[in-house]
Amino acid sequence: MDNFKKKFIEEATDLMDGLERSLLELEENPNDQSIIQQVFRAMHTLKGNSGMFGFDKIDSFTHEMETIYDLIRNDKQQVTREILDLTLAAVDHLKVLLDEESFNEPSVQENHIRLLNKVRAIINGDKKDEKLHIEKPTQPIQSEENDLGNTFYVLFDPVSELFNNGTNPLFLLDELYSLGQVKVFAHLNKIPSLDKINPELCYTYWEAIVYTQDNVNSISDVFIFVEDEATIDIQKISGGNLLADDLFITELKKLEGVQNDIGITKIQKLAQQIQSSRVKDKIVAPGVKERVQSKETAISSIRVSADKLDMLMNLVSELVTTQARLTLFAENNVESGLMPIAENVQKLSRQLRDIAFSIVLIPIENMLTRFQRLVRDLSSELGKEVVFITEGADTELDKTIIESLADPLMHILRNSIDHGIEDAEERLKKGKPKQGKINLKAFYSGANVMIQISDDGAGIDPEIISQKAISKGIITADRKLTHREVLDLVFLPGFSTAKQVTDVSGRGVGMDVVKRKIADIRGEVEIESKFGFGTTITIKLPLTLSIIDGLLVKVDDTHYIIPLSVVDKIYAIEHEKIAKTFNNIVVLDGKQIPFFYIRREFEHTESTETYEQVIVVNFEEKSVGLIVDSVVGEYQAVLKPLGKHYKKQDMISGATILGDGTVALVMDTNKIIKLFANHEDFKIGDELNKE
Amino acid sequence: MNQENLSKINSYLSFKLGEEEFAAHVGKVLNILEMTRITEVPKAPEYMKGVINLRGIVLPVIDTRIKFGMTPTEYTANTCIIVLDIEVDNETIQIGALVDAVQAVLEIDKNKVLPPPSIGSKYRSEFIEGVANIDEKFIMILNMDAVFSIEDVASLKTKTEETDITRSVEEVG
Amino acid sequence: MAKTILIVDDSESIREVVSFTLENEGYNVLIAIDGTDALKFLDGTHVDLIITDLHMPNMDGIELIRHVRKMEQYQRIPILFLTTESQAAKKMEAKDAGATGWIIKPFVPAKLIAALNKVLR
Repeated sequence: MDNFKKKFIEEATDLMDGLERSLLELEENPNDQSIIQQVFRAMHTLKGNSGMFGFDKIDSFTHEMETIYDLIRNDKQQVTREILDLTLAAVDHLKVLLDEESFNEPSVQENHIRLLNKVRAIINGDKKDEKLHIEKPTQPIQSEENDLGNTFYVLFDPVSELFNNGTNPLFLLDELYSLGQVKVFAHLNKIPSLDKINPELCYTYWEAIVYTQDNVNSISDVFIFVEDEATIDIQKISGGNLLADDLFITELKKLEGVQNDIGITKIQKLAQQIQSSRVKDKIVAPGVKERVQSKETAISSIRVSADKLDMLMNLVSELVTTQARLTLFAENNVESGLMPIAENVQKLSRQLRDIAFSIVLIPIENMLTRFQRLVRDLSSELGKEVVFITEGADTELDKTIIESLADPLMHILRNSIDHGIEDAEERLKKGKPKQGKINLKAFYSGANVMIQISDDGAGIDPEIISQKAISKGIITADRKLTHREVLDLVFLPGFSTAKQVTDVSGRGVGMDVVKRKIADIRGEVEIESKFGFGTTITIKLPLTLSIIDGLLVKVDDTHYIIPLSVVDKIYAIEHEKIAKTFNNIVVLDGKQIPFFYIRREFEHTESTETYEQVIVVNFEEKSVGLIVDSVVGEYQAVLKPLGKHYKKQDMISGATILGDGTVALVMDTNKIIKLFANHEDFKIGDELNKE
Repeated sequence: MNQENLSKINSYLSFKLGEEEFAAHVGKVLNILEMTRITEVPKAPEYMKGVINLRGIVLPVIDTRIKFGMTPTEYTANTCIIVLDIEVDNETIQIGALVDAVQAVLEIDKNKVLPPPSIGSKYRSEFIEGVANIDEKFIMILNMDAVFSIEDVASLKTKTEETDITRSVEEVG
Repeated sequence: MAKTILIVDDSESIREVVSFTLENEGYNVLIAIDGTDALKFLDGTHVDLIITDLHMPNMDGIELIRHVRKMEQYQRIPILFLTTESQAAKKMEAKDAGATGWIIKPFVPAKLIAALNKVLR
């Protein structure tokens, strides 16, 4: 497919998404002129551009839709639910039309006609007799014309302010010349004396005799831009080429040099004379120059942005690695004087990296429209009133993560509307407001992005869950589970507690699939629910990008990287102090901080150093210390995957190659702490960290 | 190397694990590296030795001896890492195989290769493509994809031998 | 020397198609995404012709044309605007603002060149 078309499709998709958003906004604010304008503008652009790229159906369809909104913005029509529903359906249809093949489907054709009829019904429902958009392309004046061309008289008398519009009359005359054979007479009689001349005004006017094989429209076309700024008279004076006639030329010469117009009358008389006195010869007309249509040559394919971005990110990664080597070299060869240069390179590559990232990270806002539509359509379908509030739409995520998030989030929303939010009656009985509320909140937390979906619906009944688990043989009847454990059961396969498998969220796609899909993007999901009050689902996602700012530390002879985003503080500590504690707690700055001794946990040998370093990191809003031998410094780590063989473990999120070529391991502190805490039966309780 | 050309080549790289000799088809071999510092990844299966830097790529290194139920590799001047192309889940990945010594590249004609013995064999037959007799020695030609697949089972030894390995691993462990 | 044309349009697809056509004809092409962006260009670079869309964010075509006409070095520069047929009123407005001519959307490259030839040589 040619690249321009591809580009248009991308753009059109964006326009349609924006249009959808505006329509949803319009629903909340039906009288907001600025939103109406937005909608109109989007349609107008779609209409204007689609024809350029061959999407005629979109062109004509949008043309009609636009009419409705034109009426609206001129206060001749109100924004109604019917119109909004129709427009949203129309946008869906337009998206389908972006695939040119789609119109071959009868269902698409039917939909097209159905929607158009509805649109027209609304337009015609307007009783006023206003004529809209009847501008037909101007019909070319058909006059009997000789195949061999005709000779025309042209008068071009512009207003004196002609230049103000950037018009150069000489270019127009040049255009005339390109039509065939032309003889131009410039009339200078209106030019005032030198002392009175205003060089910014045009005093000249022209008459011309034009022979052309084109029709009269080509001539009038030349002056199309100046129609309003000039007197233009074009008249056919003869068939054939009078300019090839010697007699005509001679007579014409006599008329030349006359101060005033030659005038059409004189020319016509002259022409008649010539015609009557000469036998018409077959005159071979000079070939009229044709404008060669520029061919669209195939351009070597330019990749779509997503791939360009990947390449960009790779290069930035390589740059960061190489820069690290440069810095190391400069540090080891101070005499070379490279240090200041290396520092500059480091600064620049950091800036480049940040910008590259900002390009790759996308605010989740783009996803939200989909959800808003879902909530709207679904709640309407199920007859429930739901208010959907979003917070943190500008929270940014890696685009690949966003793409993988859409499905799980849709599913969670479906569940919420289908099983969570009760219908109006029930809610009133419970003393809840009639409208159900679903809140989607996105925010950063440490090195993660959190997405929380909460509803004030029925919540999860732990009894039902337990019963189901028992009946499935997952747990025994006497097993006592904590509230959390019961809720976590929901993530087991086949665990839909919906009484009927509704069309919407049934079909066996359960929370287990959601959990798996989120795990695939190295995320975690948790459910919290209060029976009768509502449910909150929290998704934690990593900001795994290929380069992270880290703290390079050493344990034994291995280097590790701790993401700077989780690092709170670093303390030096005497080995004695750690070796002697019996409950893994150390007091730092007056606070009790639980710690993990990396050497021990990672099965290195015991340390012989006197001093070690405690890196205090954030873990689920608490502080935990990780003990390492020494801190090397800050390091921009290009994250490289460990490979499939290491897929099972998740304490190390990846590796990075240091300036000296050795490999450093990047720690996922959350996973590490969780693991250590479990295995040591160690509770990082709230009591320990009361501030 | 595409499949067609691959099948025509009869060259194999032979290497030693302890006293036993094995061979891998050269189509699978990318590189032979001298022993170098391996960064160990904590809490990984014992046969996962760690990772090394191979020209900017992080390469996992597997202790082949442990995979074969032997004692862990002891580093000598001859210890090498053979970089291999392995097919896993329809993907081709690179891994490093730690071996005691690399011997030579041998031309082994297809008709010289005997099928692996099914009974009484020390090693499970899925990993052995065949056995060749070269210069009075038996060389086991390995299916590298199978040997280095991602499996929880550390050992390639047949069930009867398993109790022995666990014991030997514990001794070393 | 090759003439320089400034294209102002908020649609990337249009910008691409127009610049491709013009570059094929041997023109140098500069692109701006809206009026504000265009003015930044005009502040330093020399431009021989401006082709602008009318509906753009930040600063629309009409306003851009007005601004350009106020600039000393661009008082006479030919300016073409892109318009859909149905905008007769807009055409008047653009011309009043100082536009030289227009190109009707959708257009084939030949039409673009034809309009060009009326105002630039």
